Amino acid sequence: MKNFIFIFKSAIEDFSRNKLRTFLTSLGILIGIFAVVVLMALGLGLKKYISDQFETMGKNSLFLVPGRVLSGGSFTGSVSSVSGRFDDRDLQTLKKINNIIGVAPLAFKSTKIKGLLKEDYGDIMFSSETFADIMGLEIDTGRFFDKSDVSKKTKVIVIGSKIATDYYGSIEEAIGKKITIDNVKFTIIGVTKSKGGGGMGGFDYDKYLFAPYTTGFIFNPDKRFFRLSVKVKNENYISQVKEDIKKEFLKRYKDEEFSIVEPTELMSAITSIFSVLNLILVAIAAISLLVGGIGIMNIMYVTVSDRIKEIGIRRALGARKSDISYQFLAESVLLSSIGGLLGLGFAYLGVLLAESFFPAYIDLLTVIIALGVSSAIGITFGVFPARKAANLEPVEVIRYE
Amino acid sequence: MEFRLAISSMIKFTNVSKEYKIDEGYTFFALKKVNLEIKEKEFVSIMGPSGSGKSTLMHLIGLLDRPTNGQIYIANKEISKISDDEISRLRNEFVGFVFQQFNLISKLTVFENVVLPTIYSRRSLDFSPQERTLEILTKFGLKDKINSYPNKLSGGQQQRVAMARALIMKPRLILADEPTGNLDSKTGHEIMMLLEKLNKEEKITIVLVTHEVDIAKYAKRTIKIRDGMIEN
Repeated sequence: MKNFIFIFKSAIEDFSRNKLRTFLTSLGILIGIFAVVVLMALGLGLKKYISDQFETMGKNSLFLVPGRVLSGGSFTGSVSSVSGRFDDRDLQTLKKINNIIGVAPLAFKSTKIKGLLKEDYGDIMFSSETFADIMGLEIDTGRFFDKSDVSKKTKVIVIGSKIATDYYGSIEEAIGKKITIDNVKFTIIGVTKSKGGGGMGGFDYDKYLFAPYTTGFIFNPDKRFFRLSVKVKNENYISQVKEDIKKEFLKRYKDEEFSIVEPTELMSAITSIFSVLNLILVAIAAISLLVGGIGIMNIMYVTVSDRIKEIGIRRALGARKSDISYQFLAESVLLSSIGGLLGLGFAYLGVLLAESFFPAYIDLLTVIIALGVSSAIGITFGVFPARKAANLEPVEVIRYE
Repeated sequence: MEFRLAISSMIKFTNVSKEYKIDEGYTFFALKKVNLEIKEKEFVSIMGPSGSGKSTLMHLIGLLDRPTNGQIYIANKEISKISDDEISRLRNEFVGFVFQQFNLISKLTVFENVVLPTIYSRRSLDFSPQERTLEILTKFGLKDKINSYPNKLSGGQQQRVAMARALIMKPRLILADEPTGNLDSKTGHEIMMLLEKLNKEEKITIVLVTHEVDIAKYAKRTIKIRDGMIEN
């Protein structure tokens, strides 16, 4: 123990005498750890972002989309084609299947929207009362449209919080007001809670408007739907319902004309793609760790040659081969750990900076991996120089001038 | 003579040879079938011109090297039969070295240099390393230098630090390889008197390697070596 303390103490003293050399030697590890940690942090952030997006979709939902989306857990080909859309008949088919507690069709309309303060193009989603539940939308003020709104085709509308502030100044101001969509007047009955999100292909629900799909048939005379969502009683029924839907839909469509997607399935597919991409990037960054390790090995060989006399003296005073070996190993581990710690520190700063425009975070595992890898590099690349030092014959080195 | 035999053997060489392969086919014989015995509490000098093999002899006695042929017994132990770690332990506990070049570690302070051998000891010591270091350095008049680095010291001071380091582990043998070689004659004699005192008062066996006759005089017995052989 006293031996180890002494070894580390003298290594640190050695480094403080050679600050520049110590810094330059550990620079390779610094850069490597920095790159690896930042990339891992970005990967983790992205993964979390994706799962958050899917989390909001509500549990026990299934999505029906035209065309092929997923096959064997990965993406294939095109997502949808204009021709392959669902209609009211499909909606009725779904309603007849057991253990489905809600169906939400989805039709889009992009058109001119006129509010109190503003007139601009916007997007309306037409769906059923189940939509809010399936998509995980929450109401801030007022209410979401209900079953009777859907059956009576009432001209009511729920708007995103961003729309409320943009077109009316505030959420309170918007409630109960009229909004004109393509010359049809709707009454605002509710404003959704802000969800954030958007970007990277996700919807920013704060900027959407939501109205009953039956009312929407005004703009959608052929009653076509872009997507059908289904809420299943509970998770035990998901696979059964999936089978039933497939059976029913195969009566009308070919197998490749529709897909039934579970959000979790979609999420794992997307996540796995990003994970692979991230892994490749991390692997490339890890090459710089290898280069850094070689740098340390090189310096350690130089150090051994520089200190042949010292090694001889220590051996003459009773140091064993292992004592000499540990001394040099401790130095290389310290060198690479210093690099690792600095790299981690810089990566932390980098992630703090990146956080404002990209999801990124460092978890404990990343820290453990970073420090573990950097000391492992110290050991791996320090072992050969240390062995060289330890195996020097005392008589050779004591004579050395 | 009889009284000498009663004292146990410290170092014994039987037919010890040391060869160095210089080139393919050419071998240099540094020591040729050397027989010698040094007993406990003796003060022996080894004399010989340069290239005579006295350094090789010294390295073999100091366990820094192993012979090509023959047996070396240190305290009745045959060293070819013991492991490298065991030899390291003997160097640590049994032998104290004093070199011509002082061989202090330049980046360590005087105190750290002296305490260093205790770091390498694997057994529990019957003294406090710090206290003993301070005690010896005080005795050698170096108390105010304990935090200095060796390059700030005079040659005589450095050699006294080296002697303190040689003594820290309470060795039974001190090997001094031309200890006065880098010192002026006054300082040289001071160092020799110190060695003489250690031999007399602390009963430490001393083996001195030198080529100076008046330095060799401090020893009670002189072994002369020439061309790798002991002269009688």
